[in-house]
Amino acid sequence: MTMVEDRSPRRYEAALKVTGAARYEGEIRTAGMLHAALVTAPLPSARVLGIDTAQARALAGCVDVLTHENALRIPPAAFLTLCQEPVVHFAGQPVALVLAETLETARAAAASVEVRYAPTPAITALEQARATAFAPRTAGLTATDSRRGEPEAALAAAAVSLDRRYTTPTHNHLAIEPQVVLADWDGSELTVHTPSQAVFAHRTGLAKCLGLDVARVRVISSYLGGGFGSKGGAWFPCLALACLAAKQLGQPVRLELTRAQMFTLVGRRQETVQRLQIGAARDGRLAALVHDTVAQTSTYGEYADPVATPTRMMYACPNVATTHRLVRVAAPQPNPVRAPGEGPGSFALESALDELAYELDLDPIELRRRNFADRDQHAGLPWSSNGLLECYRVGAEAFGWARRPRTPGTLSDGRHRLGWGMAAACYPAYRIASQAAVGISKDGRVKVRCGTQDMGSGTYTVLAQLAAEALGVPYASVDVALGDTLLPEGPYSGGSMATASFTPAVEEAARRLRSDLIARAVADPRSPLHGQQPDQVSVADGVMRAGNRSESLADLLARVAPQGLEATAAAAPEAKPAKSFFGFGAVFAEVRVDPELGEVRVARLTGAYATGRILNPLLARSQFVGGLIWGIGMALHEKTVMDANLGRIVNDNLADYLIPVHADMPRFDIHMLTEDEPHLGSGGVKGIGMLGTCGTAAAIANAVFHATGRRIRDLPIRLEQLL
Amino acid sequence: MADLFQHQLDVTLEINGTRHRLSVPASATLLDVLRERLQLYGTKKGCDLGACGACTVLIDGRRANACLMLAAMQDGRRIATIEGVAQDGALHPLQQAFIEHDALQCGYCTPGQIMSALGLIAEGRAGSDADIAEQMSGNLCRCGAYPNIVAAVAEAVRS
Ligand code: FES
Ligand code: FES
Repeated sequence: MTMVEDRSPRRYEAALKVTGAARYEGEIRTAGMLHAALVTAPLPSARVLGIDTAQARALAGCVDVLTHENALRIPPAAFLTLCQEPVVHFAGQPVALVLAETLETARAAAASVEVRYAPTPAITALEQARATAFAPRTAGLTATDSRRGEPEAALAAAAVSLDRRYTTPTHNHLAIEPQVVLADWDGSELTVHTPSQAVFAHRTGLAKCLGLDVARVRVISSYLGGGFGSKGGAWFPCLALACLAAKQLGQPVRLELTRAQMFTLVGRRQETVQRLQIGAARDGRLAALVHDTVAQTSTYGEYADPVATPTRMMYACPNVATTHRLVRVAAPQPNPVRAPGEGPGSFALESALDELAYELDLDPIELRRRNFADRDQHAGLPWSSNGLLECYRVGAEAFGWARRPRTPGTLSDGRHRLGWGMAAACYPAYRIASQAAVGISKDGRVKVRCGTQDMGSGTYTVLAQLAAEALGVPYASVDVALGDTLLPEGPYSGGSMATASFTPAVEEAARRLRSDLIARAVADPRSPLHGQQPDQVSVADGVMRAGNRSESLADLLARVAPQGLEATAAAAPEAKPAKSFFGFGAVFAEVRVDPELGEVRVARLTGAYATGRILNPLLARSQFVGGLIWGIGMALHEKTVMDANLGRIVNDNLADYLIPVHADMPRFDIHMLTEDEPHLGSGGVKGIGMLGTCGTAAAIANAVFHATGRRIRDLPIRLEQLL
Repeated sequence: MADLFQHQLDVTLEINGTRHRLSVPASATLLDVLRERLQLYGTKKGCDLGACGACTVLIDGRRANACLMLAAMQDGRRIATIEGVAQDGALHPLQQAFIEHDALQCGYCTPGQIMSALGLIAEGRAGSDADIAEQMSGNLCRCGAYPNIVAAVAEAVRS
């Protein structure tokens, strides 16, 4: 770790978080609130024959038990509606909701609800039903299949070819803050406190479900204790059930998931089996890429990660075919998890390229350089910018790549084998529509209002910074309101797109406010700036200046607009962009392998990233490091284990599902290459939250090969694979 | 079972220097009593099973997972939580170091990390960065603030 390197503004809400004063949504209480607890099915597939709630109801303080027999009806929906039908689709599915006066009573009552089931046959593992694989409608936001050129013929004719199978397991998001909701129903309006990655989408969904006008639903999410994909649509079924209960009982209801329930009820990263075929010329130029993915979905829903995105667009190759297929397993519904698709997909692609480099006796970076794509190979569009070559150069130099002996197993330190590996990374630079408002009051305090959320990614901070810079006021004089559907509609927090989406709206609102303030000053005979040309007036530190005349914004406002002023703006992406927008990176790993124990430790990770304009280098670095740590987890630790006989998850807790801890940390060396991005329309911002997780598992696996000569194609890399 | 849940016991807890006389259910954890009875929400619940460290508090100066402690068994103990760390509105140097080093993202693990670090420093075992990392590995951070947390703790030890 180096010293804190820069003068970036510190995290806006940090003082509240380090003192315990930040009030997360799970910490809101209201009078008359009932505590809810879920009764969940132990079987992966069953019909519910009957639910006996007599014992539970007999407990003092137990108020009601909702089941499919007595719960209010939810209109048919695109998600799994809970407590609506006597059918079990996966082990862990809620079949009843207990409501009680205290948390202890709710738990005790839930434990005494007796449910009789008739088990029905279930596919409990992807391998049991490979033959039933089907094509989903989409893969993430992309097409299910792609094809260009003649990949089969090109493979057959290629001088060198590879045909490899890679697998990645199920992962869970596992934010440290559990999903929780306080549904406050006052008889006509519903106020929902919940950590939400999408307050507006949750509002729309809830209004529909409960038959309410959206104007009567308010969703509030001031702080999220992490999300990573688990606090959006995947959390909606339980969120909706709690709100339904509040409406049905006419009382506020609070439901908090247990850690075990976070493994079944809020989505998961689907396991994948990927076949990757590569054909290449002797000089390394790619002739063909064929990437076929089979992944798990549930029996009642359909979701496919866009696994093949990097294979389609990143490297110059005339003949490419990709497919995504799903197998229905009686298990929880998968959904996006940090770096969905590109994470697991880049593991296969970047491992296979490493294999090809050894096959050709080429340096892995040189192989990638020779296949650099000067335009998006899939969309056929020029890049808005592509800093990949610069990332290779900067990353390699910082890491010391030039000193790497090519032969595996030749670096050591005492009894440990060392290995150096690298991989490239990419992630789409998405953006969506956003509105924002920037206002100023007569005491000079500025307020940004934007109905987006802060998952811990720094949204509060960058909203304040953007307004401060565009308006010309100190960062410390800006207040931020977010996470509330009463605010102007902002983007959801996911797909690394929130910042790129709201940045142009906030900047435009701040510029409008600035112009308005200047116009009022030059028009006001009492202002020292009266009569000046508006374009000659600058604003800095909350003071307007033209030549040697000046006036503070606060003084102006006190006189001309004591009630304060506000400007709003909206921004949206172009419908048909003429460029392809991606962030790129190169990641380098050093691993240390104990040859007797098979233990792998990551000693160093160097990442070089080209991602447009960086708003706050300190927080951006934290985001990249966080993303890389997820890559370490993917490479070495994480796997949700299903018992195929029982159809249940066996490691549904934080002691048995391993995530990286303090002691697993390598030394990090992060390089952010700023790019001038005039085409992006997002104020030059590309998202960064996912990028650190792309390519990292491959870089680590490639380093393990370099250390040991063992090619591990199944994640996570385990001791037993190296003994 | 119902009896057990309803059975109440009297305890006196000294929390951040203030004595609280409480009647608590026998089954209530210290964590639930802090959060639900005393509205001290700074101590977080991440797993309720002793596996994440979000609920770390100091009991008579020693680090403990409040979710694993029955409140009824803490009679007479001194309990320190995150709410008592800043004094008279002035942040503790460790809290300041967390802000400076950006040692938090979502902030949900943060109170536990800080309490754990304070315990560790008091134990005199926060020597090298590697020692800090090893001794704080019971405090999970899903956002991945680990390196910055260690840097913040190391700085607080130095100062
Ligand atoms: S809540 Fe106590 S250790 Fe996780
Ligand atoms: S800061 Fe989010 S879990 Fe640590």
